[in-house]
Amino acid sequence: MKKLLILLSLIFVVGCSPEEIISPIDLNQTEVPESLVIDDLQGLKLESTIVSDEVRMNVKLPYTGTYRIKIRDISKELISQEKIQGQEGDNLLKVYVSSLSKDGYIIELTNNDHDVLGLTTFVVN
Amino acid sequence: MKKILTLLVSVLCTLSVFGQSKMDYTRVNTVTQVGDTLIVKYQYFKGTDADGNDMPDAKLYQFDIQYNNKLLNPVLYDWQPTAGSEQKAINSWTGYKFTIDDTKDQTDFDGQYLSWLAADASYSSNSDWSVDRVTWQNTTSLENGDEILKVSYKIKDKANTNYTDYSNIINVNWANYKEADGTQIDVTGQSNVGLTDIQGGDAGDVSISVSSNIISNNIGDGSDFFYTIITKEDMDDGDPTNDVIVASGTFDAAGDATVTGLENDVEYAVWISIDDSKEYLDNVVTVSDLALIFQEAIGAGDSPNGSTTTFDYYAQKLLGDVYFPQGDDPFTINFQDSYEVLAYLQGVTSDNTTYITKTGGAFNVSGIKSTFGDKGETTDYPTFSPIIKPSDSNKSFEFAHALAGDVNFSHGFEPTSTNASIPNAAQSATTARSMMARGVKFQPETANIDLVSELKDGQVIFSINSDVVDMIGSQFNIVYDRTRLVLDNVVFDTGNTMTNFTNHLEESGKINIGSFDQNFEATVKTGTPYKLIFTPTVQLNNTAGLITFKVNEGVKADGTQINFIMN
Repeated sequence: MKKLLILLSLIFVVGCSPEEIISPIDLNQTEVPESLVIDDLQGLKLESTIVSDEVRMNVKLPYTGTYRIKIRDISKELISQEKIQGQEGDNLLKVYVSSLSKDGYIIELTNNDHDVLGLTTFVVN
Repeated sequence: MKKILTLLVSVLCTLSVFGQSKMDYTRVNTVTQVGDTLIVKYQYFKGTDADGNDMPDAKLYQFDIQYNNKLLNPVLYDWQPTAGSEQKAINSWTGYKFTIDDTKDQTDFDGQYLSWLAADASYSSNSDWSVDRVTWQNTTSLENGDEILKVSYKIKDKANTNYTDYSNIINVNWANYKEADGTQIDVTGQSNVGLTDIQGGDAGDVSISVSSNIISNNIGDGSDFFYTIITKEDMDDGDPTNDVIVASGTFDAAGDATVTGLENDVEYAVWISIDDSKEYLDNVVTVSDLALIFQEAIGAGDSPNGSTTTFDYYAQKLLGDVYFPQGDDPFTINFQDSYEVLAYLQGVTSDNTTYITKTGGAFNVSGIKSTFGDKGETTDYPTFSPIIKPSDSNKSFEFAHALAGDVNFSHGFEPTSTNASIPNAAQSATTARSMMARGVKFQPETANIDLVSELKDGQVIFSINSDVVDMIGSQFNIVYDRTRLVLDNVVFDTGNTMTNFTNHLEESGKINIGSFDQNFEATVKTGTPYKLIFTPTVQLNNTAGLITFKVNEGVKADGTQINFIMN
């Protein structure tokens, strides 16, 4: 009887556990916060236009491949550039601004051939 | 006919001999400056009648003087010595000006007096003028030529008045000379006292401007510059510790300033400086300057004949002479100058006192723009005139500014004056640049290059990829986020004979890297000549914004700067 009770208790505890813990995780799907949702098939979106230190960014790509993220100053001169290997769809990344002076900037998403896929502005405060 | 001629001659003789009494008022001394004291004497001259006889003696001498109180300030009324039994008085009114009876000459002083009595001439309110009524009477008459009164007037500044000159400052309005029996005596005189060429006085708003590539190329703006003004006299006394600053201030964003507190016709020295806290000053002296200084060291200073130069402007002799210990020839570039610049770019601390502009240490050169860097009259040394002299006709002055070490004028004003340019005949080699027009010899060429960071195997790799084939030098000033990255390594693949340099300023997260061939022969290899490897100190998924770059330039064998274009 004691063994039966222990078994029933275990079944009860397992039955009350959250379902998601035991669900399989889809590694290719990114949870995109509402503030970073991009409706178009491709583009780039920052969580905030006014930035200090860092800001989250969604880069939505049409295909998996090599892309560039560029930062330009007020005269549109390129002052920073990174190359990423992105996945098709949403890619949650960050922009770090500690080495940028307090100013206004343009951030661009291009493919590896420098074709612009999306851009937006931000200011460092 | 004979009678008519006789009559005419008679009339002419009468006219030439007959003369009224005079109220004469004339300047006693010469004045030239605002603040000088003008002395005017008021003097009696006896007239003659038609027969040449003296007019009757007057016993009363009374006249009204009006003076412009905006331009003159009477400081002394000095009665002239007479018998001592006379009665005399001066009455004054401020804010009145005489309106003459225009049916009579202004200088018909007795006539104007009578008109004033009859109200055909009058005084009306006018805040710019004041009236003194002078009365002198005695039982004995003044002798011909006797002075009645001398008045001293301090000359006031016409700035902030409605007057542009001093041409009419004193008038006698009327004169009332009477004989003992009350008979009116005819009196005339001149219409006014005026002054010309009065100098000095508040210059009012004086405009100065500064030109620099810092402003024109939007590296900074005019508000980064400030001015300091002392008198030339102060400058010339040779003791800067006693200099008194007459005016100082900053320029506006466009590089213009309005200066007040200066005086007309006084010479001033204007010094223009830059706020040396500006971070872009670390980009003033680069590999392009190094190349020009090295070239000059080879072609001029230390060459066997030492007489030729590779520079295009005399000003470069000053800007490039970054090291001149005691005994060194001034304005002469030698290898020591070039090695000091190379050491600076490499981040090697020199024990020598050098004049290389950087953040926290700007060495300013400024002067009148139109003669900026002109050759000296007797030497090949450049000149930079700080002198201005505001005047009524000139209250606007243009200045130019440059920085020591910046021989390619990337952050300075490239001279435009004919006399600032070194003739080709004096140069050791004719370059494409030397054939260009003054003011635009240092227009950089452009070339494409790729600077990019990426996350690879847990490290951040920053690559400089180049297809540019003819660079004998290059430089990249890079800033990284030192709160998230640590520099691990710099990998050079520039070629076997290049001198590479790295200047890592860890505390500010700056790295200047580059290469330079001192023989002006080898060129930087194409491909990926430079690679920086960082280790992240935080978890990273990407590198956007972690590494930024501002100065990216190459230099060709002739010293031409190459500005890199990045897509």
